[in-house]
Amino acid sequence: MDRLEFATITQLREKLDSQEISVAELLEFFINRCNKTDKKIDSTLEVFDKESVLKQFRAQGTPLSGIPGLLKDNICQEGRITSCASKFLQNYVATYDASACKRLKRSGALPIGRANMDEFAMGSSTETSAFKKTKNPWDFSRVPGGSSGGSAAAVAAGLVPWSLGSDTGGSIRQPAAFCGIVGLKPTYGLVPRYGLVAYGSSLDQIGMFTRSVYDAAIVFSAIAGYDLRDSSSRNVQKKDYTQHLTGKLPENLRIGVIDNVLNADGMSSEISEAVEQAIQVLEKAGAKIKHVELPTLDYSAASYFVISRAEAASNLARFDGVRYGMRDKSAKTLHDMYLNSRHDGFGEEVKTRILVGNYVLSAGHAGQFYENAKRVQRLIRRDFKNTFNDVDLLIMPTHPQPAFKFGAYDVDKLQMDLQDFFTCPMNLAGIPAISLPCGMTKDKMPIGFQLIGPHLSEGQIFQTAHVFEQNTPWHTMHPEGF
Amino acid sequence: MTKISKEEVLKIAEISHISLRDDEIEPMIKHLEGVLSYAERVQEIAADIEEPSDKNVNVFREDVVVRVDPETILCQAPEREDDYFVVPAILKTK
Repeated sequence: MDRLEFATITQLREKLDSQEISVAELLEFFINRCNKTDKKIDSTLEVFDKESVLKQFRAQGTPLSGIPGLLKDNICQEGRITSCASKFLQNYVATYDASACKRLKRSGALPIGRANMDEFAMGSSTETSAFKKTKNPWDFSRVPGGSSGGSAAAVAAGLVPWSLGSDTGGSIRQPAAFCGIVGLKPTYGLVPRYGLVAYGSSLDQIGMFTRSVYDAAIVFSAIAGYDLRDSSSRNVQKKDYTQHLTGKLPENLRIGVIDNVLNADGMSSEISEAVEQAIQVLEKAGAKIKHVELPTLDYSAASYFVISRAEAASNLARFDGVRYGMRDKSAKTLHDMYLNSRHDGFGEEVKTRILVGNYVLSAGHAGQFYENAKRVQRLIRRDFKNTFNDVDLLIMPTHPQPAFKFGAYDVDKLQMDLQDFFTCPMNLAGIPAISLPCGMTKDKMPIGFQLIGPHLSEGQIFQTAHVFEQNTPWHTMHPEGF
Repeated sequence: MTKISKEEVLKIAEISHISLRDDEIEPMIKHLEGVLSYAERVQEIAADIEEPSDKNVNVFREDVVVRVDPETILCQAPEREDDYFVVPAILKTK
């Protein structure tokens, strides 16, 4: 290991266990680093003071004990602000820990701050945050992706070894690809969402960012598993996912290459070439490569638009300025107070999505939009299910282009919405997908690809991802100046 | 191509409990039309199929009352009186 800031969780664990460094010293190191280095990229909304973090620390005999990290600011941390990067909630203090946060704390992990994000997780660049624009650590003129852009940028820049994000249509995988790190969207229902501020409830999942697959498996082992507080929780017990990381591929592994995606319009040749090379790495390691078509994927984004906006409109109806959050104090009636508080408290993107959501749910339009979108979702689920009869995992790019420049889609907003094109199908199907770094463009921007599996195939995904990582150098590369 | 009238967008905004300033109406119409015109394509392939068997179901638990200090919640109210949330007049006065 060269530097503490880019050490893996396992390397930090060894340093703690051998008493080369104490928990308090390690904590101080990362808090100082966040306070100093984050000025370059603005990935955090708050970094906590050392004493308040240490006060909650109970040493555990676990891999994460004493290891600092960040939580996306839509995951509740008791006694801390949870703003969702929205003016509406800028002073809202969480009254309890989200289950994922509580599980991390119980395993001794140290959340040291709140990561920036698109407002209410609505966006693909973290530009819709009401507070700051997070920069991509590889090129400050480019976005880190989104909506979990702060969580991704912080891990890529070595501010923390791990962070949590949430993924409704690609909000973990796309920023992981843009920042050159590992990001997993788990199976729907595998990580409890109790304490995650809801966006699209049938799609939302909490997942994590790390710089290695092994670290991802460590964090995932701490947060995954049944929780009675989440009604969509799957009855799956906690387990140690690092046991899958044998360094060998699962026996007779069949990987499907989705041809219609690799040849899609707008696919950068640099990206398709990098993914082709990734396929070759896995083939050389022993995987059997098959070519498949998933034609319904071309309709995923349209289905996702409708379903996510409809659910957003319902979920965000709770923000009314009555019990917490922003209130327009000048309104004379309750009705005007609702209208004005929501007008002033929400940003443009959030308001647009609420309006789209109520439009597609409203009488006269629900049949055309919402009901058809749900039918398409079923077709997508069926297609994935059928495909997984023939292959164990699927492979495709995370995104057709590398990270884009700030303001690139200010005019053509539809193109921003279409950022989810390659990632939202998995949310619609509820299946897990990991994004891994697999190359660099000639402009030195990271390229990512996804490994996708059927429900609850995280073990197999980690195992395969780990083999890929061991045979490639991309996870060892870090942005300059950090 | 979905077209949205000014009346329609104002109605949806009203349903959404969001006021729109005059200068916000046209950009909102344009944005909505863009998204909805794209979303229209769900009609092209939508078809009824058998429900996949692995669809998630909601699980229920006993509704157990847990005591928490109400102050942690009440103290976040924009306006309060004792243990009540205060809101502006619900009905318009003459």
